[in-house]
Amino acid sequence: MEAMLEIADVVTAYGKIEALKGVSLSAAKGRITCLLGPNGAGKTTLMMSIAGALKPRQGSIRLEGSELVGLSPARIVGNGVALVPENRLVFPQMSVRENLLAGAYQRNDSGEVTADIERMYARFPRLKERREQLAGTLSGGEQQMLAVARALMSRPRLLLMDEPSLGLAPIVVKEIFGIIAELNREGVTIFLVEQNAHLALQVAHHFYLMEQGRVTFSGNPGELAEDEVIKRAYLGTRRSAG
Amino acid sequence: MDDHLIGIVSNIGVISFVALSAYLLLLTGEISFGQQAFFAIGAYTSGIVTAMWQLPFALGLGAGAATGAAAALLVGLPTLRLHGLQFAIATLAFAEAVRILFELFRYQIVRDGELVGPNGIEGFRNIRYIFENDVSATEFMLIIYGLLGATLFGLFLLERSRLGTAFRMIGEDDLLAATQGVAVVPVKLTAACLAGTIAGLGGGLYAHLTTYVEPAIFDVMLGVHSLAYGLIGGLGTAFGPLLGVVIDIGLLESTRWFAGYRMIVFGGLVAVLLIVRPRGLLDEQLVHRIRRAVRRRPRPSPANDTVLGKELS
Amino acid sequence: MIPFIQTTLDGLMVGSSYGLLALGFALIFGVMRRLNLSYGPSIMIGAYLGTLLYIKFGPPTYVVAIVAVAGSVMAGIYVERLCFAPLGVGAGVASMVSSFAIWMQLEQASLLMLPRHSYPFPSLTGGELWSLGPFVVRPDYLIMLAAMLAMSAALTLLLYRTRFGLGLRAIVENSLAASLSGIDVERTMLKAFALASAIGGVAGFLVLSANQQVTAMLGMWATLKGLIAMMIGGLGSIPGAIVGGLALGVIEAHSQNLFGPQVRDLAAYAVLFVLLVLRPGGILGTTAVRRGMGQRGGDRWTTT
Ligand SMILES: Nc1ncnc2c1ncn2[C@@H]1O[C@H](COP(=O)(O)OP(=O)(O)OP(=O)(O)O)[C@@H](O)[C@H]1O
Ligand SMILES: [Mg+2]
Repeated sequence: MEAMLEIADVVTAYGKIEALKGVSLSAAKGRITCLLGPNGAGKTTLMMSIAGALKPRQGSIRLEGSELVGLSPARIVGNGVALVPENRLVFPQMSVRENLLAGAYQRNDSGEVTADIERMYARFPRLKERREQLAGTLSGGEQQMLAVARALMSRPRLLLMDEPSLGLAPIVVKEIFGIIAELNREGVTIFLVEQNAHLALQVAHHFYLMEQGRVTFSGNPGELAEDEVIKRAYLGTRRSAG
Repeated sequence: MDDHLIGIVSNIGVISFVALSAYLLLLTGEISFGQQAFFAIGAYTSGIVTAMWQLPFALGLGAGAATGAAAALLVGLPTLRLHGLQFAIATLAFAEAVRILFELFRYQIVRDGELVGPNGIEGFRNIRYIFENDVSATEFMLIIYGLLGATLFGLFLLERSRLGTAFRMIGEDDLLAATQGVAVVPVKLTAACLAGTIAGLGGGLYAHLTTYVEPAIFDVMLGVHSLAYGLIGGLGTAFGPLLGVVIDIGLLESTRWFAGYRMIVFGGLVAVLLIVRPRGLLDEQLVHRIRRAVRRRPRPSPANDTVLGKELS
Repeated sequence: MIPFIQTTLDGLMVGSSYGLLALGFALIFGVMRRLNLSYGPSIMIGAYLGTLLYIKFGPPTYVVAIVAVAGSVMAGIYVERLCFAPLGVGAGVASMVSSFAIWMQLEQASLLMLPRHSYPFPSLTGGELWSLGPFVVRPDYLIMLAAMLAMSAALTLLLYRTRFGLGLRAIVENSLAASLSGIDVERTMLKAFALASAIGGVAGFLVLSANQQVTAMLGMWATLKGLIAMMIGGLGSIPGAIVGGLALGVIEAHSQNLFGPQVRDLAAYAVLFVLLVLRPGGILGTTAVRRGMGQRGGDRWTTT
């Protein structure tokens, strides 16, 4: 299968501490790839490295063959990658509409941008009702929708999502995952970090397990019993063994 | 040592007191543009005590330090809840107000047929205790460095004490420090008072070193300089601000190497230094490494070092 | 009553120059959350370049104005590249001290250009006075007032009606999220800095042409007045800069009128101190409100 994203031997460090110790994985075009792992495994670090907010010390990150390492976050967005960051990070003092416009910052087709905003409102009706409300006053679930919509506004080829279910009520999580599946059916390649292994395995075509900065398992849902995945994703083999 | 050199070294010594004063507040996370006010208050007070009331020098210095502390407490109370730029500008406003008050301050008496005392914008001349009592320039330099040494020693003890840890905790995050059981208000006031004492003491020495003070000396420039000394020399140890003063006054005020381009060279160097070392030459990491290197030889105790490392970083 | 109103008018007039200075300051502080002490000295570089040109060749006044603004923009960009861009997160104090070091540099560079304490500066109006009924106004200051209002309107439009403004506001709210949205944070900040320096340059030119002279105190004066006006009005906001500038002007005019120049400065600092203690956010401060709104909702569903 053709790869959208290919990551090879990436090392990213905070000061002296290596949070990623040589990560290699790939995300197939048009598919949902999921990354699972316990707290502190380095999932967010990997997402930030792909998006260019952290600079890997070593290794390569390729988007359909072209190297992303060394580009600024803005250039990476321009190349068609958008990240829905952990904890959403909406712009709290800006209206819902302005948040969406910020997502389309690099686009020069203002007519199409307006049309896309309408499409987002159609997909997320609750955002439409609150279009002039300040984003900081939205509920957590609404903010998550806004963060997804904002990322989509750049019309990405690859959508990165870092724990979209974090801190949300189960109903809202279901809704978000419905949207993820729907986006994927429309052709968006998705690379998703998730703690909720059960839900992740339902939508993913392929998944990776990550522990302490390394990929420890790669497979398709069904290849590993779900309770084993959950055990590893929450606890990690190393820690549970030791 | 010739007189010129003694003068420079003494000057470095007295200015170090203001720098240490600003440094102490930086430890608690606050930027003050106003420590020169306590320096001024100390200078005027001690001058009045010795030159006008003709009391002993030690009493003058003590009075300078005490008024510095009292003034610091007075400003510390209302500015307690201010942070960052707001605190910095409040201290600046206070210090400039003090400077202008000294411009308006006239209190003169006749002594030996001459008028002595603060004379508004003209300043306060003839603080001649040192000359009248035959203290030589070298002796006075030793007095300055004796007191500076004692202050430094006090600061080192402080940094190792629980109070010092509380200072750094508040500097990191005062809300968090409060949840850890640090009594933020008294600790901050203590820091402000100590900083005022140090500046006031330095002011007293300064007045007697130069025999003449005028309000214009104590302007914002002095305040920002004393803050800059800590950043240049390093925030890891109380030696940092001293190093900053030595670099500034020692290298620049005293040499004529760059003539008209002095500030161009110096300003550029400082800016580049801060890019490379944003927390100064002697920053926390370097100090930590030096301490470990020094300590490793006589008594290796890695466990202790890691604790210290956490406290400092 | 008439003298009182006249003094207030004078204060508003002078205050408009403070407002203009504060506008540039507020822009930089609002975006970077860092203090640029070199703001005034950057203005001074531009003003001195303009003055140098003026006394050497006597060009038309608009040329002097262009040079003054361009010079302060150049100096501003230099400051940003050296003191702000290379210093990462958590180095706010270092940036400030660094900008102070560059202050020393810029001031000495200016004095190397023109070593005397003061030089003549071209006037826009010839310094004439207009009488409006019982009152006297100086057209120089009316120009300044108009410039202040026009610039703040333009800046508001820029911030709220353009893509650049959207990017700038996004950076202020969360620079990580802004960069993840495709906003080039570094370039946008540099542009904002250049713009702020340009506003400062205009302010400097107008003040000097009203005074018809430039002195070596310009750098310090501009930094202090801009900073005080910004703090009085409200940190980093456009209306705050204007209100702060005008308020400072009126306070100064009345205290000078009543007690003389020393008390004028004393009164300004006293008001600043008391205001900061009682209302840290300034007259139009919004910090408290802001914090509350940012938190609500965001944490409502979070379990941790
Ligand atoms: N800014 C930072 N500075 C230093 N270390 C960091 C920083 N951010 C993360 N780390 C460390 O890097 C490691 C990986 O963190 P990361 O946030 O990538 O984990 P994660 O897999 O996303 O965890 P979680 O599931 O809790 O979000 C952790 O050990 C963490 O302590
Ligand atoms: Mg994470």
